[in-house]
Amino acid sequence: MQNETVLQPKKAPKSLLSKGVRDHLVAYSFIAPNFIGFAIFTLVPMFFAFVLAFVKWDGSNPMEFIGFDNFTRLMRDTTFHKALWNTIVYTIGVVPFTMAVALALAILLNQRIIARNFMRTVFFFPYVASLVAVAAVWNFIFSPTMGPVNNILHLISGVPIEDLPRWAADKHWAMFTVILFTVWKNMGYYMVIYLAGLQGINPELYEAAELDGANAWRRFRNVTVPQLAPTTFFVLMILVINSFKVYDIFINLFAGADNQLNDSTRVMVYQIYNTAFRSLDYGYASAMAIVLFLLVLGITIVQFRGEKKYGQ
Amino acid sequence: MVGSNKGIRMGTMVLVYALLLATVFCMLVPYLWMLSSSLKLNKDVFSFPMQWIPAHPRWENFVDIWTKIPLGRFIFNTAKLSVIVTILQLLTSSFAAYAFSKLHFKGKNVLFLGYIATIAIPWQAYMVPQFIMMRSLGLNNTHMAIILLQAFSAFGVFLMRQFYQGVPDELCEAARIDGLSEYGIWARIMLPLSKPALSTLTIFTFVSTWNDFLGPMIYLTKTDLKTIQIGLRMFISQYSAEYGLIMAASVVSIIPVVIVFLALQKYFVQGVAASGIKG
Amino acid sequence: MNHKRLYGMTFATVLSLSVLAGCSGNNNEANNAAATTAPSTGSNASASAEPGQDPVTLKWALWDWEATAYYKPLIEAYQKEHPNVTIEYVDLGSTDYMTMLSTQLSGGADLDILTIKDIPGYSNLVKQNHLEPLKGFMSANSIDPSLYGGTVEQIEVNDEVYALPFRSDFWIVYYNKDLFDKAGVEYPTNDMTFDQYDELARKMTSGSGAEKVYGAHYHTWRSAVQLFGILDGKNTVVDGNYDFLKPTYERILKEQEDGIVMDYATLKTSSTHYSGVFYNNSVAMMNMGSWFIATQIEKVKSGESQATNWGIVKYPHPEGVEAGTTLGTITSLAVNQKSKHKEAALDFMKFVTGETGATVIASTGTIPAIKNDEVISSITSIDGFPADDNSKAALTTVKTYLEMPMHEKSADIEVILNEAHDNIMTKNATIDEGLKDMNTRVQELLNN
Repeated sequence: MQNETVLQPKKAPKSLLSKGVRDHLVAYSFIAPNFIGFAIFTLVPMFFAFVLAFVKWDGSNPMEFIGFDNFTRLMRDTTFHKALWNTIVYTIGVVPFTMAVALALAILLNQRIIARNFMRTVFFFPYVASLVAVAAVWNFIFSPTMGPVNNILHLISGVPIEDLPRWAADKHWAMFTVILFTVWKNMGYYMVIYLAGLQGINPELYEAAELDGANAWRRFRNVTVPQLAPTTFFVLMILVINSFKVYDIFINLFAGADNQLNDSTRVMVYQIYNTAFRSLDYGYASAMAIVLFLLVLGITIVQFRGEKKYGQ
Repeated sequence: MVGSNKGIRMGTMVLVYALLLATVFCMLVPYLWMLSSSLKLNKDVFSFPMQWIPAHPRWENFVDIWTKIPLGRFIFNTAKLSVIVTILQLLTSSFAAYAFSKLHFKGKNVLFLGYIATIAIPWQAYMVPQFIMMRSLGLNNTHMAIILLQAFSAFGVFLMRQFYQGVPDELCEAARIDGLSEYGIWARIMLPLSKPALSTLTIFTFVSTWNDFLGPMIYLTKTDLKTIQIGLRMFISQYSAEYGLIMAASVVSIIPVVIVFLALQKYFVQGVAASGIKG
Repeated sequence: MNHKRLYGMTFATVLSLSVLAGCSGNNNEANNAAATTAPSTGSNASASAEPGQDPVTLKWALWDWEATAYYKPLIEAYQKEHPNVTIEYVDLGSTDYMTMLSTQLSGGADLDILTIKDIPGYSNLVKQNHLEPLKGFMSANSIDPSLYGGTVEQIEVNDEVYALPFRSDFWIVYYNKDLFDKAGVEYPTNDMTFDQYDELARKMTSGSGAEKVYGAHYHTWRSAVQLFGILDGKNTVVDGNYDFLKPTYERILKEQEDGIVMDYATLKTSSTHYSGVFYNNSVAMMNMGSWFIATQIEKVKSGESQATNWGIVKYPHPEGVEAGTTLGTITSLAVNQKSKHKEAALDFMKFVTGETGATVIASTGTIPAIKNDEVISSITSIDGFPADDNSKAALTTVKTYLEMPMHEKSADIEVILNEAHDNIMTKNATIDEGLKDMNTRVQELLNN
């Protein structure tokens, strides 16, 4: 089947195209299928996200160019400020917590221990399990009066069930609940990345450290941590991005049947969705999206600087 | 001295195992609870102290859910989307990755940087114009919209390229001398070699398409087109008091990803490690 | 201003063009899209000759096909008269239905008949020019708006009407007779003030944990709580001042604190549907729309509702206001302006919203927009409707206030009110803070 193509290169001089051009064409033909789709469905919309941020448009009446009005409106929009603040709090809660747990698990499950593969599967599993389903389970388990968690707490502590935290339904505990949920749901994913990182460390480094008489902590401090630095930066970057663009977790944990979040649970992507698809204010929604993008970009740049400085 | 050291080791080991066991238990509780509730009557779901194995398992729950909502249709839709997206993603990503890793052409580095940069841009930042564009192409409320949206990810190219970087160039050179075309090298050498990376990408893509929420929520508003996630959520808001049924539907929605995951998991950590997404 | 418009138009054209350039094929669709960015002026040349001859397939946008009793009988009744017409339904689900519908229409979906669920969504669709104006059709077919009990006038926009009501629901109180019997408390009556309702709810609250019975139940909708405040007729929710809602919120929050009603935030996070708590005997009384009558009757028959012994009474009212004053909501049908079968669609709309349609709707226990004695008696005589006289009398009303009056900005006002309501009910904001938030944000909106 391949024979015809195999013969082609030898006839090449007769072809109209020089070898250099042909090589290029072959290379581009490899890239084209992905790149065309990628350009149309990702790059073009990205470009228009910037354009839309400067217009007022409801999706059917004519667009109106309004300069920076959408952005000045954002500065006054207290609802958006709450969403921004909640997103930041959520990110600050989720990122270090997830990293610590994922690293600890990866180190443990990198040892030769019993049922290692089984445990890896167990920890990774929440990541693959459908969010809607597990969020429903969490809401049932953490249900304020009926759920097993509060019933057990009540049994242990003797505190009346009405005075226990109402978890997702409690404005003081909502953020804690969603952070806990996110860590539980996603730590397996980061654990796997850390595991991969750990397997890339040359075992001789540990042997050398052991010969030098370094104890377990010092081996961790002086071999594992520096060797894992690139992994840590990667994990940090993905975690921050994912935390900033959170939406589905909040909707499924808090929003109820009418898909509505309140001041203590509102996040940025929810505001974008609401503004665009409920209020039909596409321009304003795009302005919010630009803010989201700039924030993520800013943080990523800072991280890259950090990696350059401390990573190698 | 050696003895006490050994003692400490033993002690730590016991402690570590106890800790791990406790964590594993905490991880599994929600699923066990889901499974056990899915076999109960609504009124027994919240009975306390709880009964882990229902005395009279209600298998009817698993029969009833199929008639309460078009669960079969939802699963079919989701499976169709996930399979198509995964296949397209595997093909186009590994194809492009081959060029980025093993071929030389003008603009390679710029193009690759562009790919990487877009990984950092959240989809949510451009979902609105993307939606408007899809809409003007007449793709709103079609499965095609979801396929086009998911099938060409920068992440896939990145992951595959990192893996191909680990394959020695000499292998390709040798093949070229043997007269294989570039397409032949990709099909006969690279693809078979990259099983771990392909498995990893399959798991990531399949799982993320299967579990995608916001995409189908925006694009698929007709009930017959909905995916399992959106359908399940619709079910929860319509039958919020049917705890047993909700849990049964949840169990059903999880099974297919479990199958894909378990089938490919032996390649999985290996794939992540080899593809070097460690950074 | 004009300058800006021009800019905008250029942008739109550039956007559409580059989209066109970006992809091959599908030229037709893209052209359509370009056309929608400018207000369309095309006349409806496409409508087929006469309804009643050629086979036509109409697409009807609706929600909860499975759970709604009257869709199927309506279609069957219509098709008996018009065998050439096939009606397909497009179920967009009840969550965010109007958002989904507007998204669909902007996307150029080929829907013909549109069910309009609420006023804010309706006003959005009118603004986006999706709905066919009906005044001309109504006078040509001598449809008398006075049949609809004043509801048609309430949805007029600039002297034009874009939808006709087929259902006109109002709020009543459902109660569980068995729970009242068990507690030895007198049933609620057709004439209760807010205070009497509150007192009764407190009397009926008992037990704890899984055995708890709540005296009353407020669903998580804003209308279930906030709109007690408008029943005295002195204020509306589109004026921009919401201070009058304070006593209402105070009373409801007090009930919530005292455990008389379920906690709003818990109901919300668990997505608890009002029907579930009524079915499983955990609430004694519940204020809800009359649409729940048909569902409750059906679910008692199917055994899903364990609240088999139930009744209804008129809505509680403020001191000094006549009993039978209540909240109302209308559901209407409209025709897509871009429908390819406009005449057939209009004909179907005329049928459903007309008197024959009303009879069909009433026979399923739902209250149609054309509401006369005959219709009411056909509802009360349905098998499964509570037998007591009070329940029958509960279906007569003296004054109905729309849940959301027609206003150019009602969709945006609705968003603000819902958010502030949620904050008050979850105690993210105090009552004063929440009302102040409503005042400032709605006023800013109205002044723009």
